[in-house]
Amino acid sequence: MAITILAPTPAAPVPTRRLSSEEGDSDLDSDGDISMSRPTKRRRTIITPGEIVTDDPQWMRGHGTFVSGEDTSIRSTLAGTLQKTNKLLSIVPLRARYMPEIGDLVVGRIVEVQSRRWKVDVAAPLLASLPLSSINLPGGILRKRTSVDELNIRTFFSEGDLVVAEVQSIFQDGGASLHTRSLKYGKLRNGYFMAVSGMGGGAGVVRAKRQIFTFQTTRGGEVDVVLGVNGYIWIAKHIEPETAGKDFSITRLEEQASGTMYSSQNDEIEVGTRREISRIAGCIAALVEAGVKVEENMVRRAYEASLDADAEMQEHSGEYLGGAKGRRVVELALGMG
Amino acid sequence: MPLDTSSYALAHLRLDGRRWNELRRLHAQTSTQAAADGSSYLEMGNTKVICTVAGPAESRKGGGGGGNAEAKIEVEIGIAGFSGVERKRRGKGDKRTSEMRHTIASAFSANLFAHLYPHSTITVNLHVLSQDGSLLAACLNATTLALIDAGIPMSDYIVACTAGSTASYASNDEDADPLLDLNGLEEQELPFLTVGTLGAGEKVSVLIMETRMQMTRLEAMLAAGVDGCRQIRSILDGVVRAHGKAVLDSAIS
Repeated sequence: MAITILAPTPAAPVPTRRLSSEEGDSDLDSDGDISMSRPTKRRRTIITPGEIVTDDPQWMRGHGTFVSGEDTSIRSTLAGTLQKTNKLLSIVPLRARYMPEIGDLVVGRIVEVQSRRWKVDVAAPLLASLPLSSINLPGGILRKRTSVDELNIRTFFSEGDLVVAEVQSIFQDGGASLHTRSLKYGKLRNGYFMAVSGMGGGAGVVRAKRQIFTFQTTRGGEVDVVLGVNGYIWIAKHIEPETAGKDFSITRLEEQASGTMYSSQNDEIEVGTRREISRIAGCIAALVEAGVKVEENMVRRAYEASLDADAEMQEHSGEYLGGAKGRRVVELALGMG
Repeated sequence: MPLDTSSYALAHLRLDGRRWNELRRLHAQTSTQAAADGSSYLEMGNTKVICTVAGPAESRKGGGGGGNAEAKIEVEIGIAGFSGVERKRRGKGDKRTSEMRHTIASAFSANLFAHLYPHSTITVNLHVLSQDGSLLAACLNATTLALIDAGIPMSDYIVACTAGSTASYASNDEDADPLLDLNGLEEQELPFLTVGTLGAGEKVSVLIMETRMQMTRLEAMLAAGVDGCRQIRSILDGVVRAHGKAVLDSAIS
């Protein structure tokens, strides 16, 4: 009896959930460049862990590489693309957890209250710490923190509060130390929190000049958007501060920091504003789903595209921007500008 | 019994038509769950495993375990009741499950660059949807892919596969062949071991054997297993590269 061996049936094809790419501008890379310019899209090849990057001893190894014991070749520890900066080789991972850098604007949630500081979750490997001496006291008073402040520490921030802060310094083990010593930082209220994950070569929030900006929405008044570099995003109703109209100078900080800055009470938010907040949240979620970097310009374009997409649809499908409508919004947003 | 068939006697073909050194169909996807830091889905024949990785994140008992200079790796395995031939609910405290968890955790502790994330914990969650042999090997492979997807630095892939011997079938020692990648029926009857290597070389990082066998056959089985791991590594590498290329092609910078 003859035995026939049939070839195995192939596995089901992986559904691609990303948009087809457009021919965007590509920066040209020249070796030996000091700035962190990326190579052209065509030349970017993936390097996987354990792969030998180079044998040449003239290169120094940077993040994402290691030298294996036997030979002096530099091998990669991550899956990502190669980045050459002068004589330094490093690997930019495709996706990585947020690593705090000094000067980053982050949105975080208080998870622990200790005697003289708070521990804040900023989607990093370690909890960030916010010392009591790094916050503005209500009323703008500039004085040394006393034990009475330590006893009243929960009146400032308690567990579960959301705070926008800046990374002041990094500890030896990589944990961040935050501060809110500016009127644009502090406790967040009147809004909606969302978290987008993924950094590196894929989607995510990029570091930009302006992380906090305001929308003039069509039907809902003004809406503030805070894009934390760590992927935490806050969309809120814009409340005009009492200092509007007066000039701002460093010597009058104490008069301008309001007494209600640590209040946990939300103000009244109208239905129209809530709809616009959820529309903006849907735009950002659609951008992340499509692998587009989230920053002010793209969010504004996506918002206008969502209004256009609404006009295109025959029936009014509300503010929900998932699935097919979300993809259409991102297509329109990439097409304009 | 799995080798008593006429096809083996005539043509040395196993129950599913494979020869002694052929792997089962290996299908892997990475980054399957957007919500997790890293995720993967792996099928080795009919053994199907989902893996998700969370972290590095601050460990819950921060003060107690605060003296660690490197990240801790915790593994959780959930074996579905419908995964085997008979429905069977396995508790988390099962001895075999805890041994698998410990093996996976110690294999990766030695391989990951954990000193870059002190005081934190990397949590690996494995869900077994279907078991048909090579369960520990599939778990190790799925964990490797998920850790690479999470961007946690490691020195090389840890790839694993099973190797067995036809020893119980052949009464004559010289006729005993090593077999690669046993399925469920073969694992029940034949002696086998799970070998995990670090990369494509010959560095063995995991070696588990639970059945009894003669010492003389061990070398041949190990050689077959290490060779199978080399093949698996190139397949997994292809999966990671294809996914990375798809991400880069669609990313708008």
